[in-house]
Amino acid sequence: MANKSIKKDQVKSLLDKLAQSNQLIAPIQSEGITLFKPVKSGEGVVLDYQNALVPPKDFFFPQSEKMFTYDTTDPSWAITPVDGVPNRVLFGARPCDVKSILLLDKVFDAEFRDDYYLDKRNKTTIVAMSCTDARHTCFCGAFGISPGEAEGADILLTDLGDKYLAEVLTEKGEALVSSCGSLFTDDDGNGPAAKEKAVAPAKEKQMQIGLEGVKEKLDNMFDHPIWDTESLRCIGCGTCTFVCPTCHCFDIVDFNNQSSIGYRYRCADSCQFANFTRAAGGHQPRPSKKERTRQRFMHKLRYFVDRYGDFGCVGCGRCIEKCPVNLDIAQIINKVKEVG
Amino acid sequence: MNNVTENLRKTAAKLLQDQEVKMVIGYGAGSEAGRTQPVFITSPEDAEKLVWNPFCVNGLTKYLSDLKNFDGKIAVVVKGCDSRGIFRLTQDNIIPRDQVVVLGIPCAGQMSYQKLAAKMDVSGQLTDVQEKGDNLEIKTSKGNLTVKKSEILLDKCALCENHNPVIADHLMGDKIDIAPKPEDYEEIKKYEALSVEEKAKFWLSHFERCIRCYACRNTCPGCTCRECVFDAIKPDWVGKELNVSENELFHLTRAMHLAGRCVDCGECDRVCPMDIPIRLLNKKLLKDCKELFEMATPGSSEEGGSVLGQYRLEDPEEFM
Ligand code: SF4
Ligand code: SF4
Ligand code: SF4
Ligand code: SF4
Ligand code: SF4
Repeated sequence: MANKSIKKDQVKSLLDKLAQSNQLIAPIQSEGITLFKPVKSGEGVVLDYQNALVPPKDFFFPQSEKMFTYDTTDPSWAITPVDGVPNRVLFGARPCDVKSILLLDKVFDAEFRDDYYLDKRNKTTIVAMSCTDARHTCFCGAFGISPGEAEGADILLTDLGDKYLAEVLTEKGEALVSSCGSLFTDDDGNGPAAKEKAVAPAKEKQMQIGLEGVKEKLDNMFDHPIWDTESLRCIGCGTCTFVCPTCHCFDIVDFNNQSSIGYRYRCADSCQFANFTRAAGGHQPRPSKKERTRQRFMHKLRYFVDRYGDFGCVGCGRCIEKCPVNLDIAQIINKVKEVG
Repeated sequence: MNNVTENLRKTAAKLLQDQEVKMVIGYGAGSEAGRTQPVFITSPEDAEKLVWNPFCVNGLTKYLSDLKNFDGKIAVVVKGCDSRGIFRLTQDNIIPRDQVVVLGIPCAGQMSYQKLAAKMDVSGQLTDVQEKGDNLEIKTSKGNLTVKKSEILLDKCALCENHNPVIADHLMGDKIDIAPKPEDYEEIKKYEALSVEEKAKFWLSHFERCIRCYACRNTCPGCTCRECVFDAIKPDWVGKELNVSENELFHLTRAMHLAGRCVDCGECDRVCPMDIPIRLLNKKLLKDCKELFEMATPGSSEEGGSVLGQYRLEDPEEFM
């Protein structure tokens, strides 16, 4: 599809316009922290950010979401579904986070179709933003993701100095562009070459991690002592899970405040919590940190591949940066390659 | 290699060799420059993995609680602030004092990985770090940096009460002679002066961000309940739902459970991935307890317990 471009001084008008007819979700900064938030206009949106502290996953799979409300005194036991979301534009998502949404699709849009997820997914247009710089923890290249590509996005913007190249990737993207009239102009033909140059630093600077043979090796490492040693320092917090764009486990809970009216919600859960696998009667299939740590890395690098044909990690590096005890997935990958 | 690292390795190897302890918990090289990672050494040969440098930020005492059923004595490396956690654990009867060998390190201050990462690419390996006066010369496989220590120092270290550990069975370096800067709670007084509405606005905007990962609880030497109130399902005192009111309840409950017990190690504040200023809550309670009960910072000495957890016949009970 066509390559367009938009002048940087027009971006605020674009965001203002998008916010009029959609719920606009964009990165904003406060107290030095970048997070995706719904915004009413382009005011305060930052686009030269390195990746957001937590991924925009929350707008597809919220950490907590109401599923329905009920009233047990109602003779028909009717349940009231929650409202869906309005049409939305997710603006400025990075390539790793866009890829993570394709991975979530494999989970939520498969044999079991998850209506809560799909409502949000279908109503969201994704405008991605190439990376022109990488954080010290980035390693998306290991998973075949490029700082300058964003399969799964509807439009991909790339910072070219005084303008953004806008690659229109889907029909949804085309619809967005045509709804914005003259804000976008046709690219002068130099866009793709300029993009390659712009994203080169991000490709070079990021960690170069190779995954050759890792999955095959993990196939035979269920009982390997590496899980004993590496898990000892884990403090079993949910940090790595809750900052991860691909983690998708959840729990379902009813809330009724001791009245007949209540609601059911689901909320993200973490395999690193001891009570994640604790069953009624006290049975605990993953009794120690060893089993839980193993589960995390096996799920991302082996089971996800078995089930969906792709790795369950996009190399965003958030868990590396935020793990309080430096249990680093890139280091684990390298160790898996080294150990006998 | 610095002297402390050398002492540590020797002492650890000897303790393991003599079977005085079965495990040594200390710091090992990190995956990035500017970080170390906790290591658990069980054979004398592996003592070589121990390091000491200005990036040994983690508190290690909480691991003693995880390992309370470990078969044998454990040696643990502590800095001044962490050393108070030892007494938290012994006073709370989590571990018997005679099961622990404390390897104390006098500490002038630790450096923040986040602050360093803002100044250099930390993705390389640390190859050398030297203190030169007020500066640190940091060498990594991906480049070097000379930086003023004060620019990357952990905030808590500027107000350190115990540069020298309050307890050490073996001291790994020379005592440090830096006069502790008296904590005047200037920062806390600023927040105390706010109106109730302003306080609520400030805190709710932070609590809203909490992702309830419980890293703050899990790293805390004072959070050792067999079943934490936040994990209880029946009754579910605090719901699992992530919203600002449950988050607020979580934070205030945790703060109150630590009132008079928090050893002010700063770990909860450091580990929070969402940069929630948990230290302000703890410091406020510390300030109040100190003013009301003439309490020393908890964990400063072997005796004592928690001021709010004690029963004394001579207590005035003015409110009854
Ligand atoms: S496992 Fe870590 S690096 Fe991989 S996608 Fe999740 S947070 Fe990012
Ligand atoms: S790996 Fe790190 S972030 Fe994940 S649960 Fe363990 S300590 Fe927490
Ligand atoms: S608070 Fe004191 S003992 Fe603790 S790390 Fe800082 S300087 Fe060292
Ligand atoms: S560490 Fe931070 S984000 Fe995690 S539960 Fe504690 S306050 Fe919340
Ligand atoms: S509440 Fe925070 S500062 Fe206090 S003892 Fe626990 S981890 Fe340390």
